[in-house]
Amino acid sequence: MGLLNVLEFTTEKFENFVGVNFWTMIFAWVNLLILYILFKKFLFVPIKNMIDSRQKEIDDMYSDAENARKSAGELKEEYEEKISHAEEESEQILKTAVRRAQLKEEEILREADKQAERTMERAHEQIELEKKQAINDVKNQVSAMAIGIASAVIERDVSESEHKELIDDFIGNMGNE
Amino acid sequence: MELNITGPKVFWFFNLDLPDTSIFTMRNLITQTTFTLFTVTIILGILAIVLTRKITKRPGKLQVMLEKVVTMLYNMVEGTMGKHNLKFAPYIGALFASSVFGSIIGMTGIFRSSTADLSVTLAWALVTTGLVWANNIKNFGLKAWLKGFTEPIFIMTPMNLVSEVASPLALAFRHFGNVAGGSVLTTLIYSALALLSSVILGWIPGVIGQIPFFQAGIPAILSIYFDLFSGFVQALVFSLLTMVYIAGASPAPEELPEDRQEIIKKREEKKLSKAK
Repeated sequence: MGLLNVLEFTTEKFENFVGVNFWTMIFAWVNLLILYILFKKFLFVPIKNMIDSRQKEIDDMYSDAENARKSAGELKEEYEEKISHAEEESEQILKTAVRRAQLKEEEILREADKQAERTMERAHEQIELEKKQAINDVKNQVSAMAIGIASAVIERDVSESEHKELIDDFIGNMGNE
Repeated sequence: MELNITGPKVFWFFNLDLPDTSIFTMRNLITQTTFTLFTVTIILGILAIVLTRKITKRPGKLQVMLEKVVTMLYNMVEGTMGKHNLKFAPYIGALFASSVFGSIIGMTGIFRSSTADLSVTLAWALVTTGLVWANNIKNFGLKAWLKGFTEPIFIMTPMNLVSEVASPLALAFRHFGNVAGGSVLTTLIYSALALLSSVILGWIPGVIGQIPFFQAGIPAILSIYFDLFSGFVQALVFSLLTMVYIAGASPAPEELPEDRQEIIKKREEKKLSKAK
């Protein structure tokens, strides 16, 4: 209660117009300190941080956009190059395909020719063989006939095995005539 | 007709044997100025908290204005003090706002301008001086700072000391004098106009002769000059001078003597390692 006892309330007292009040100075300092802390904590630092972060974001956005533009340009060049390559490549492919087809065609033709030739050859061989066989057949029959005729002529059995040489000689001469 | 020009009203005082002279008193605890000081702090503090409660990256109109004000202050601090002294911006902002609002709150008629009290402006000026000294010692070292008083020659020491004392006094009295003088002038002219009114119109019989017509209009214009304009200009002058004084004591690190540069660098490294 000590403070209340010595503290008195008044409405009639005025300070000097030009004078310094110790307590008012203390209060001025306290108020300035409070306001400084409040301003720093709630006004200056948050707003400064906000402005800085916004600035950073804008800078980032611009650099990102620039990077994207650059990479898009690079991609474009790459694709253009690729497309021109593709045209060349397709031409190349077409050319090779045509050439291969031609080769194939020639091969097939050649193969067919060969096949035909071979078939002909075989046919000739067959013909030859059959001709020989026919001649042989004829010879055999003729020899058998000749032997029959001859045995009838000489009235005795002509031994086929004994006179084989003679008969063959004969037929051979006959075939040549 | 009598005009009393007094300081702020005293509400609570110590009934004790404390120092109490015409220029310095410790007896009056709470005065009108005390109320003004706290009112201004509360208003500005609430404004600062409420206005920045929901700041976003995409600002609204209010936030743009707020950012503009804060950026302007930062630019002002950077312009007068340099980039390395941006940490003083909140203090300068608090000082400037206290001063402007403390001056114009007198226009309400409820409060007495806090800056019309020499105690307040002197307290603020002493903060400036304290900051100047602290920064001088921090940046140049105690020895170099004290040695600075004897320069350019030893005889100049008293002069230098006087100027060291005079600058905060001048700062305080300039602000106080402009605001308090303005209110005195307004009061004087107000009474003079009443007198003029009664002299010129007093012959009219009845109530009409008693109405001080001349008091309407002219005091309002004067109040705009003395309270609004002067209050603003004095706040600006006070803040600017504070900035200039502190900037003089706190040059850019690369402008300091080399031995001091090293000391300050070491000190900052220590601070950084401590923070980690």
